[in-house]
Amino acid sequence: MDAFDLDVRRHVYFAVVASGRPPSVSEAASALRASEEEVAHAYRRLHDAHALVLFPGTTEIWMANPFCFAPTPHRVEAGGRIWTGTCCWDALGIPGALHGDGRVESVCACCGEALSLVVADGALTEGADLLAHILVPARRWWEDIGFT
Amino acid sequence: MVFLRSEEHVTRWLAAGGWEPGVTLTAPKLNELARTWWWTRLDPGWRPRTAAESQALLDALGLTGDFWQLA
Repeated sequence: MDAFDLDVRRHVYFAVVASGRPPSVSEAASALRASEEEVAHAYRRLHDAHALVLFPGTTEIWMANPFCFAPTPHRVEAGGRIWTGTCCWDALGIPGALHGDGRVESVCACCGEALSLVVADGALTEGADLLAHILVPARRWWEDIGFT
Repeated sequence: MVFLRSEEHVTRWLAAGGWEPGVTLTAPKLNELARTWWWTRLDPGWRPRTAAESQALLDALGLTGDFWQLA
């Protein structure tokens, strides 16, 4: 991963935290004083390196993990914003990435019942009796990162 | 990767989907994993972890065995 790609990635995450959403190629190009073509190529390389996830066939950012920009059952309050986690792992990762407390509102995948988890000072103070299930072995996670 | 209320719900959910069981974690263990895994994601000097570094992180959390092998 070269210096330009790291700069682009850093800008993406900075923009996500600052605004709650990822920058478009045009916005990132303007901020980085680069061409849209250069940034689009960087987005694709970052996607290929699993440093970002693009919506299929586009240069729009689907995930800057642990942050997700498409609807999922995992709603996260942390750092003064409402976020979406791709999966249960990422949902709990958002307070971690922000180095703070947080609340995750989700559902039981079996029965659909609403579930709440609260992270305070790094520990779960609510929802500690819940479980998480990972279906796909680690070596296959990137075969379909939307289904793990 | 989904949340479930109980082992009974894990079993019922796997049966409904026709899936082979993967790994069930307690929510506190998942929180520990998530916090450790994503802790440096916003660091200005972030660099991608090597596969060996990621594997060592999982190992340190006691997440070992074939299921947790990244490569």
